[in-house]
Amino acid sequence: MSDALLPLLIAIPLLAAVFPLLLGLRFDSAGWPVAMATSLLVAALAVRFTWAVSPASSGPQRLVHDLAGYPAPYGIELVGDGLSAILVLLISVVAVAVLIYARTTGPDSNAFYSGFLLLTGGLLGMALTGDLFNLFVFLEIVGLVSYALIASSDDGRAAYGALKYLFLGTTGASLYLIGVGYAFVATGTLNMRDMASELAALGYGDPLVQAAFGFILVGFMLKIAIFPLHTWQPDAYTYAPDTVSAFISALVSTTAAYALIRIAYDVFTVDFFAANPLITDAVLLVASVSIVVGSLLALLQTELKRIFAYSSVAQFGMILAAIGLQSETALFGAVIHLVGHGLMKATLFMGAGVLSSAYGAQTVADYAGLAKRAPITSGMMAVAGLALVGIPPSVGTLGKWFIALGAVEAGSWGVAAVIFISTLLTLTYIGRLLEALYFTQPATDDDTGVAGDTGDATDDGSIVADGGADSSTAAGLDDVVPVATERVVVVVVLALSTVALFGAAGLFAELLDPVFGRFFQ
Amino acid sequence: MTAPLTAVPPGVVLLAVAVLVALLPRRTGHALGIAASAVTLVWVWTIPAGAYLQTQFLGFEAVLFNVDQFSRLMGIIFALIGVVAVLYSYASEAESLQTAFALSYVATSFGAVFAGDWLTLIFCWELMAVTSTLLVWHYRGKAVRAGYRYAIFHGIGGTLLMAAILQTYEAKSTFLFASVPGGPEVAGIAAGLPAALAAIGIGVNVGFIGLHTWLPDTYPRPHIAASVFLCVFTTKTGVYGMYRAFPEGHLAIAYMGGGMAVFGATFALFQNDMRRLLSYHIQSQVGYMIAGVGIGGALAQSGAFAHVFNHILYKGLLFMTAGVVVYRTGEENLKKLGGLAREMPITAGAFTVAALSIAGFPGFNGFVSKGIIISASHYAFGAGPLPIGEYHTLEWLLLLGGIGTFMSFIKFGYYAFFHGTHDGSVADANTGQSVAMLAVAGLCVFYGIAVPTFPLASILPANVGLFGLLPFDVTSDAVVAHVYKTYTVGHIVEGVVLAAAGLIGFRLTKKPLSKLGRVPDIDAIYNRVVFYGGRSVIVGVTELYAAVDRAVMGAIARAKAVGTDPQATVQRLGFGSDEQPPILRSGIGRSVFVLLAVVSLAVAILLLG
Repeated sequence: MSDALLPLLIAIPLLAAVFPLLLGLRFDSAGWPVAMATSLLVAALAVRFTWAVSPASSGPQRLVHDLAGYPAPYGIELVGDGLSAILVLLISVVAVAVLIYARTTGPDSNAFYSGFLLLTGGLLGMALTGDLFNLFVFLEIVGLVSYALIASSDDGRAAYGALKYLFLGTTGASLYLIGVGYAFVATGTLNMRDMASELAALGYGDPLVQAAFGFILVGFMLKIAIFPLHTWQPDAYTYAPDTVSAFISALVSTTAAYALIRIAYDVFTVDFFAANPLITDAVLLVASVSIVVGSLLALLQTELKRIFAYSSVAQFGMILAAIGLQSETALFGAVIHLVGHGLMKATLFMGAGVLSSAYGAQTVADYAGLAKRAPITSGMMAVAGLALVGIPPSVGTLGKWFIALGAVEAGSWGVAAVIFISTLLTLTYIGRLLEALYFTQPATDDDTGVAGDTGDATDDGSIVADGGADSSTAAGLDDVVPVATERVVVVVVLALSTVALFGAAGLFAELLDPVFGRFFQ
Repeated sequence: MTAPLTAVPPGVVLLAVAVLVALLPRRTGHALGIAASAVTLVWVWTIPAGAYLQTQFLGFEAVLFNVDQFSRLMGIIFALIGVVAVLYSYASEAESLQTAFALSYVATSFGAVFAGDWLTLIFCWELMAVTSTLLVWHYRGKAVRAGYRYAIFHGIGGTLLMAAILQTYEAKSTFLFASVPGGPEVAGIAAGLPAALAAIGIGVNVGFIGLHTWLPDTYPRPHIAASVFLCVFTTKTGVYGMYRAFPEGHLAIAYMGGGMAVFGATFALFQNDMRRLLSYHIQSQVGYMIAGVGIGGALAQSGAFAHVFNHILYKGLLFMTAGVVVYRTGEENLKKLGGLAREMPITAGAFTVAALSIAGFPGFNGFVSKGIIISASHYAFGAGPLPIGEYHTLEWLLLLGGIGTFMSFIKFGYYAFFHGTHDGSVADANTGQSVAMLAVAGLCVFYGIAVPTFPLASILPANVGLFGLLPFDVTSDAVVAHVYKTYTVGHIVEGVVLAAAGLIGFRLTKKPLSKLGRVPDIDAIYNRVVFYGGRSVIVGVTELYAAVDRAVMGAIARAKAVGTDPQATVQRLGFGSDEQPPILRSGIGRSVFVLLAVVSLAVAILLLG
């Protein structure tokens, strides 16, 4: 019975996406409750689904559902295993967190919540589909909704960023489709399982197969935003509304990377890499360049959200490197890092959003001395930032450690060295942020000394939406806009989760062992 | 029956005793030290030959207690002098801790000479360097810097020997000596580079010319009783190690021995510090032993080890007498002494015996063993490049060293004991010192006359003398090609002639020598080279660091400039103009182009690769 979870997980958010708009005709603020209720339901289903595939339950560790009763390979198949369960759980948790955060910040339109639910459904679909063409459909759903959400900001630059993303994203998705087309021509099937056996029968040296992989790889590299195909990403992340930045940065590239892992190891399998060593080297090279250049570009930026955007280029470089290493250890690290990176980036973008709403801080210079005025948010951003560097105990340590360990085990000292260098570079740009927050005096802070004390005593968390309206509290703090408490709470919970997950390596291993056992048989 | 004797190596026991000596009251501790040395003497004397305690050391096959004729002889004389030296230490007011260090030094020496494999040997060898350095350092003052130089010398020597041993292991795949069960077929260090490294490494310990400067530098500085220990163990273990490394001998080593005999005696002649003079004589005397080891063969090796045995006796005695003079007068310099024969008859008598022994006068033990080596250099060794008449090259080198020895000991005795008169009264050696000195002096005479050809030898029981201890029977023509007879007219004449030549030589050179200031040895160069070399290295490193620092800071400043304004940097490189600033962020068009370029490249790599 539990295989019904798979279609439900996808269908519920997609269908619910209609209601914000539909009910919006009658009620002005129908969007948030609908989205929240749906997301909570999805989260519950995700937990149920994870339980179903986890070794702790007695059920099968791989759920399969034929859509509309048409059996594979002709029908479309939904597949859920430990790997997709981790992704589904991440998506549903981040969705709930972002919604809580979005309650007061918006974008406050019903269309946004429709888009939000569509995006959630698309991401879940990418995580659960067992069909290559179906994956393209969900990829396009995710892409199109992302473009729209990014453009939902008032900023004109957001529109340009969305347009750029639209062009590049569509081209990237088309490349993926071309690759799938080649593969279809070669094998005559679109079902992942089926194609894997067909490809094995056909031989991995077939030009058609090789070209198919090349197109799919490059298509996903664009979606993941690997240097030099990352150019859409900084603009998109920077100018999108804070809520959207957090949601997209945490999940969209992550799910694309998941899809690449799924196709590389479940469809093309390690034997393909073994038969084409040159492509492995090329992947490792591109990934290493992406790690170093992404970190360097992050170092050059002044805007906070841009720093985090370029940081993603480097972090996904690391995940791509882990994919290219063909090491079980490294791939394990990559999955942990996918989850960790999603949580850390969500924390950082949401924290930046809080500080931006409260103090209008956008650049590193604006952050000078903010730790005094907003100790909780600053502290949590520091925690997430240090986790990103890989300082234990944090989920960032785990991911980096296993990827580096895999690199060493595979004898790729170059990759190991690059990961080490990237740690130093990450430390540099996070260090800039921490320096500004904690060790720099604000540029103009002469006559607000007394009022600053009031701010300290109450700290930013307590400047709640309605309480903050009390002019006596906020009067002294120049241009401080009150921030809802739950936004800070979300940041705190997410930041602490990045630390808590340090102890979760065993849980990851339990879920992933059966999957990796199949990948590396 | 012998199992209790072989349960532990003597070095371990002595090490435990050393710890006890440090902890016990002074009198009890020294008594224990003497008793332990005496027990060890009986122990090594009675234990049958064989390889005991075959075990694993650091994961390799090892023999911790290997007894054969060579190691037994070393063990007997080490234990014998240990008894005397601890007694002398007690009488000379040495601190318990110093004697404890000395005993640990003795213990590690035992470990080295009873090792049955190279690994154990080098392990104990390095420990000897440590313990002897501690012994020197314990005196503090000037001894500290000298001890530091000593430690550096021995660190380098030990490292070279270690390299040689490791290469030998590489060649033979065992550390064991050839004589023990499971040992390799060929004894000694592997030929070629390892042999050269071993010769130099051991050469530091035995004081090869050029590597000897630590000897006169270190031995005069510590406590007088410490010098008695020091003069015995390091160099003699070196001779023993040289034999183990080159059991067949080596031409170059033999000539180095001859050179050392002459060089050491010559430099000794220039010295006015008593213990410094004696230190150069260690080099000279060890030269004879090294010559014997270098010549190789039963006769020469027997001579070398007989000389080790005798040398330890008279050299220990010489350091004891010199120590008593220092102890009573507080004066190290011969020029400021004189006329002590009247004041200290026992010391003067002991000195005379020791001096005649070291110089090789008939009737004393030096005459016996030196004679064997000289005989071997004539009968068992080639004529060499510069024979004079029927004297082979090495032979006349050794004889020349003998003349130098006579001269310098005539000088020592003349200035310390017989020349002029001493102002005021000086007490003679105290009871303990006297007992120690007279016992050794007695042994020097005893081993000089307890030889088969001595006229009175018939009244002594056979084999009680030194010849019974030697590894080969040099009086049997079944063993050696040329049977050695100690007391022949030729030998006695030779000894007397050398003495006369020494006397005449001293008479002739007394004036110029007395005007001579301090003669610089090679260490004058070493110390300067090391000092200025070290200083230039430090200055160089500091400057290099400063240069690196400047470069790094400059690079960071430039990187910061590029980072803060990349647009201006690109413009400076010649892209764009002021009117049309270069666009660094790629737009949609350029991005799509890059994407297509990448996909083309990827497909090309896949299809063509």
